[in-house]
Amino acid sequence: MLVGLAVLPLVAPAFFVVLGIEIAIVALFATAFNLLMGYGGMVSFGHAAYFALGAYTAALLAKKAGVAMLLALAAAPVVAGLGALLFGVFIVRLTATYFAMLSLACGQIVYTIIFKWTGLTGGDNGLLNVWPPVLFKSPVAYYYFTLAVVGASLLLLHAIVTSPFGYALRAVRENPRRARFVGVDVRRHQLLAFTLSGVFSGLAGGLFAFFNGSVFPDFARFDKSFEPLVVALLGGMHSFFGPLAGAVGFKLLETFIARQWPVYWPLVLGSVLIAVIVLLPQGFVGLVEGRGWRTRPARPK
Amino acid sequence: MDWLTSLFPWITNGPLILVQVMSGLSVAMFLFLVSLGMSLIFGVIRIVNLAHGSFYMVGAYLMVTLVELLPERAWAFWLALVVAPAGVALLGGVIEMALLRRIYHREPLMQLILTFGLILVIGTLVLVVWGTDNKSVSRPDVLAGSVALLGHPFPAYYLLVLALAPVLGLGLWLVFYRTRWGMLIRAATVDREMLGALGVNVSALYTQVFVFGSWLAGFGGALAAPTVAVALGMDADVLITAFVVVVIGGLGSFAGSFVAALLVGLLQSFGILIFPAVSIVLLFAIMAVVLIVRPWGLLGRPEDAH
Repeated sequence: MLVGLAVLPLVAPAFFVVLGIEIAIVALFATAFNLLMGYGGMVSFGHAAYFALGAYTAALLAKKAGVAMLLALAAAPVVAGLGALLFGVFIVRLTATYFAMLSLACGQIVYTIIFKWTGLTGGDNGLLNVWPPVLFKSPVAYYYFTLAVVGASLLLLHAIVTSPFGYALRAVRENPRRARFVGVDVRRHQLLAFTLSGVFSGLAGGLFAFFNGSVFPDFARFDKSFEPLVVALLGGMHSFFGPLAGAVGFKLLETFIARQWPVYWPLVLGSVLIAVIVLLPQGFVGLVEGRGWRTRPARPK
Repeated sequence: MDWLTSLFPWITNGPLILVQVMSGLSVAMFLFLVSLGMSLIFGVIRIVNLAHGSFYMVGAYLMVTLVELLPERAWAFWLALVVAPAGVALLGGVIEMALLRRIYHREPLMQLILTFGLILVIGTLVLVVWGTDNKSVSRPDVLAGSVALLGHPFPAYYLLVLALAPVLGLGLWLVFYRTRWGMLIRAATVDREMLGALGVNVSALYTQVFVFGSWLAGFGGALAAPTVAVALGMDADVLITAFVVVVIGGLGSFAGSFVAALLVGLLQSFGILIFPAVSIVLLFAIMAVVLIVRPWGLLGRPEDAH
């Protein structure tokens, strides 16, 4: 598979190279999101905010301060992580539905600030002409660069979920009260997971800013927050590579349906979502791995 | 007081304040209709219905079509105002029986995502049926003009909305507190398992509540149709505002929805005068503060321990 990814630009038309970049970025965003949903049992409805914070940080530094791309890109996860830490302190105090709602409110605050602060962010017009330096300007070069960054990030994320912290996080998901009894600081684990998730979402946003060449307030809008959720769910949220598989499926579906019948794309997406929930509780990866391979115990009542 | 008048030049303008209060109250009425349905559905079924804004939108679009189709008589508008919400209620019933019913036992997350999927599906269907152009509904002749309020013009249609508010409020109060059905609903928000154990058909009650909540959203949309541009995207706008109202008031609390709708309606009406740039941030900031200090809302109850 690695070889396949490496030779893709040599054998496939440019169209697939660009698609490959998009898939890689969405995969990183969704995997970061799934650190929260799949491993931490926390569902954020405002994750676009951290994606946008990363994208805007990178774009502003590169455009207004003339910072080099690599440095601007390195700042993106830092700022997004700080944002996630700041909001996370309040958000992780709540659970389930209320957690989702406060994350949505925080996300909308970020969106509104970006939208209204025209002096800094350009408001509705966004920031244009955020291109990588000559070295990475061609799609093929940026493809390899994105692949390297996303690959390294996924390795890191995998190390995180298989670390003691990752297992403690799963314990928190399954039964917060029991986790507390055995000495796990529940809120601290949740906050760390939230911040880490924000960090990698911000990195995905930064990568996307240089890929897209421009950033817009829409990046932070609440409907964007559903993208990683849909991707992780389609792929299967209870497996590490689920979001990756979901990203491939989602982007392929989007490319072929949205280009052909743009009007019907939300209809297809919505129907697929509903069908997956009603018919395939484990996502598509669950279908491959065999149903019930990793069943979750019933929710504590 | 001088600094006050220099900061807010409108503060001595009594008639303007009155008009702002009145329009804030009308906005509050629409908000109340939508958020009450949302809150009711959560209170009984424990699902945050993200498609609630879509129901509102469908109500408004049905109103557009009905007013166009019906003969141009005085009664046409009123008939449409009855039929459009009924259509939305029917839609809600079909959705509950065909989809939601299958996933009541699943994690809340799945229920949220399913209703999110409904937003996408309903939004596209509305686009296909009604097209991308903005629509408008003409107000009935009786209420087409405006009346003078202390010298300021005020749209007469809003007077209907304001007059309907106490009627509807009283009606809902009677339903909730003076009928057996209302009693069952209130009981279900407190303890559903116990209600089922006592021999009540909870499944049928869920369907009825979902239909009733959908009807409220549809009625809000139909009533609001003559006051706004009926457009795609109103589903998300309404959903988010209703969401804020429900959270501030407390999920599942009827009185909470009422108080919070008033608060948000007036805030929107005055926020534009006081902090034009940040009125929306203010709304979310208030919601965030409420969630942090009292996650269950101003008048809601804390989540059960289990």
